[in-house]
Amino acid sequence: MTETTTPAGAAANKLRVDDLHLSYGDNAILKGVSMQLAQGEVVSLLGPSGSGKTTLLRAVAGLEAPHRGTIRIEDRPVFDAAAGQELPAEKRNLGLVFQSYALWPHRTVSDNVGYGLKLRKVASAEVRQRVDAALGNLGLGHLGDRLPHQLSGGQQQRVAIARALVYNPPVILMDEPLSNLDAKLREEARAWLRELILKMRLSALVVTHDQNEAMAMSDRILLLNNGVIEQEGTPQELYGEPRTLFVADFMGSNNKVEGQVVERRGDSALLAGAGWQLWGQARGAAATGGAATGMVRLERVRLADGEGANTLKLPLVTSMFLGDRWEYLFHRGDLRLRAYGPRALAPGEQWLEIAPDSFWIF
Amino acid sequence: MRVGLPRASVVGLTALAVCLPLGLIFYQSALNAPFFAPHKLGTGAFEFIFADSDFWDALKNSVVIATAMGLIAVPLGGILAFLMIRTDLPGRGWIEPLLLIPVFVSPMVLGFGYVVSAGPVGFYSVWAKELFGGVPWNVYSLTGIAVIAGLTHVPHVYLYSSSALKSLGSDVEEAARMTGSTPFQVARDVSLPMVTPSLLFSGVLVFFLGFEIFGLPLVLGDPEGHLVLATYLYKLTNKLGTPSYHLMAAVAVCIVAMTFPLVMLQRYLLKNAGKFVTVKGKAGRQRPLPLGGWRWVAAAILVFWLFVTVVVPLSGIALRALVTNWGEGVRLADVLTLDNFREVLQQPTLVRGILNTVLIGIVGGGLAVVCYTAVGLTTHRKNDVWARIVDYLVLVPRAVPGLLAGLAFLWVFLFFPPLAPLRSTIFSLWIAYTVVWLAYGMRLVSSSLLQVGPELEEAARSAGASPGRVTRDVTLPLIRYGLLASWLLVFMIFEREYSTGVYLLGPGTEVIGSLLVSLWGTGAAESVAALSFINVVLVAIGLTVALRFGVKLHD
Repeated sequence: MTETTTPAGAAANKLRVDDLHLSYGDNAILKGVSMQLAQGEVVSLLGPSGSGKTTLLRAVAGLEAPHRGTIRIEDRPVFDAAAGQELPAEKRNLGLVFQSYALWPHRTVSDNVGYGLKLRKVASAEVRQRVDAALGNLGLGHLGDRLPHQLSGGQQQRVAIARALVYNPPVILMDEPLSNLDAKLREEARAWLRELILKMRLSALVVTHDQNEAMAMSDRILLLNNGVIEQEGTPQELYGEPRTLFVADFMGSNNKVEGQVVERRGDSALLAGAGWQLWGQARGAAATGGAATGMVRLERVRLADGEGANTLKLPLVTSMFLGDRWEYLFHRGDLRLRAYGPRALAPGEQWLEIAPDSFWIF
Repeated sequence: MRVGLPRASVVGLTALAVCLPLGLIFYQSALNAPFFAPHKLGTGAFEFIFADSDFWDALKNSVVIATAMGLIAVPLGGILAFLMIRTDLPGRGWIEPLLLIPVFVSPMVLGFGYVVSAGPVGFYSVWAKELFGGVPWNVYSLTGIAVIAGLTHVPHVYLYSSSALKSLGSDVEEAARMTGSTPFQVARDVSLPMVTPSLLFSGVLVFFLGFEIFGLPLVLGDPEGHLVLATYLYKLTNKLGTPSYHLMAAVAVCIVAMTFPLVMLQRYLLKNAGKFVTVKGKAGRQRPLPLGGWRWVAAAILVFWLFVTVVVPLSGIALRALVTNWGEGVRLADVLTLDNFREVLQQPTLVRGILNTVLIGIVGGGLAVVCYTAVGLTTHRKNDVWARIVDYLVLVPRAVPGLLAGLAFLWVFLFFPPLAPLRSTIFSLWIAYTVVWLAYGMRLVSSSLLQVGPELEEAARSAGASPGRVTRDVTLPLIRYGLLASWLLVFMIFEREYSTGVYLLGPGTEVIGSLLVSLWGTGAAESVAALSFINVVLVAIGLTVALRFGVKLHD
């Protein structure tokens, strides 16, 4: 696994998790997860439901009990299975933003936000001042006396964030922070959240199941699958250089074709099916003669004028209008390809070109 | 995992309060004489009662009554629930609280109400005689007792089946209507079968309550000498001249031996009822099923049931409390009086009893809810050994009828001399009431606790609050309205309670419930009527407040 470049300093890693295992009864949820989070970095935990991403976040928060591994916050061990050490959630000094926001309905917005400070025995005048500052920062300055149910969804989300930030935790944890907002609001909130994180130099661990959200918001993505980290890297690495079929398939919109490897030349392989063959990058261990899966992103399938290198000729089934572009569906035998283009296509056969470095064979 | 001191002490105290009295019953049953007399271990007590033909009669009667109760209450309760929840029956809104009256009125009061209304010279019997020339019923016969017990337990079945029916989608019923079912066929073939787990559960509940009933058979069974297990136990008190505790303990063990398996069966059914949830139709979108012409037939059945189980006994109590005497040829206008109430208010014991009843309902009910909350919090969001222990501890008192529990607590106070001074204080009554209604109170408190989202508590944890602070700052404030509602319901239950106080009755511990039992024994019908009337009024006040504030009387 690649080491992240860390700035010099004692607490280079705000958060460090090593070989974490967790199970519910016989059901193993986390099977040895390791990760780091550096100062000022945003890391997303991405994965399908049941991959263990929320469990990992909750284990870091101290709300789930792992049975093996260690968790350190600013180099201070908060969980160490071998040493039998486990700091309860309230002693970890972390900020956690819940998917449902979990605002206390019986407390005003100010009381919700100020609760963590009150627990830390901050003088009440200072509590008021810091709560006002936090609310002001998040554009909620005038709402302090309201009760949570009197706020809109977007405002509630900001209160939840203010509540988690107000006592300056070293790491802020967010569990699907945007999923409760409606689609339109979500994109605005995404940009706003990214801006806030940069402005306040927060170190954040964010759980999400939405790859676009993960790519837009984070410096690094950990893609979890079935309790292990499938791949870790920058959004560009995960999108552009997936190491496994799972990662390739999880990110982006894809065409998948099943075929047989008929030739290998170094890193290149030739995948063939009934009436077609395409050169691509060999990313798996597929040997000549073995079955393999070829994958290409929808936006990497190009309409070609005529036959050329790495081209196919397929009949068009339909064109679908998506607003900013068209999506085409081609289909012959067991070969189904989708592609994007700027205009409606006339019915009939169409030449398609796939560049060998965009065609990944696993 | 570390267990905090508060939690450990709550669990410990609960275990003590539940197990000590029950343990004493078992211990006493294994002795051949009362524990205060010279005694030896032995099976003498069981041999005595097993040789007594009255015991076998009582057992037989108990089985007959419990079975009849199940056979009457389950179908009627199920149909009533279907009519109330799923159909456009007229007047559903105001009927529901009336339906639940038999749950909140003491069976002692109901029993007495039937005696004065439908007994040989009861109001309704006299009127019936004038109309038909004879009384076509006999409430003192075993059949009469069983029918009355069955009818008054219909609401118990109604409670469970109605909450199940509420979560059933109306699409399944509409599908049956589309294929050509009448409303009755819909109920019989679709709705009720789909809530079978709840019906089964309430059937076991009613059957098991059948072994516990005391007030009704005490009042109604007396004239013809029909005993059930609980009244047999009560009559044993002075059978041998001295208090025959060992014999009573042996009967108590026999009763618990029958009720405990039923409680366990209930628990098992409840677990499986939860699994059944997934098979339900689409809930949420519910439209009442139009009954068409049937709605008047259905309303007539409902009104008739209400008349027999609520109007007849309660109007009897009210009338009897307001007349000097009653019989054939007596004109109502001639005998109307308030003397019965004046009489009651002149007897210091009875006045104290009324005050104590109010006190134990308001203050005792409040303290009981505090205790139930403390116990509820020990299991809240926890699934360790301690939580499971509490789970079972709560079950135990359910299997012990109030009469036995009161007896057991009496023994606790007699057996441990340092506790003796508490016996003549209302504390003795309060602790017995609180333990007897532990399962009920816990259900109220835990249904409030379940409504608190776990993330609200986790948010406080991660903001830096210790578990104790989370309880104080988040959990308790969030359930405060639920706790107030529980207080009100526990108030009503404590006003109604009668059997638990029977053996604890003494100077200082009088309450209306136990006074009714003892006054009934002396034949003071006027005082019984007036006290019953006052008792009903107290419950009615609670019910009115509950309805006024929209407290849900059941889940």
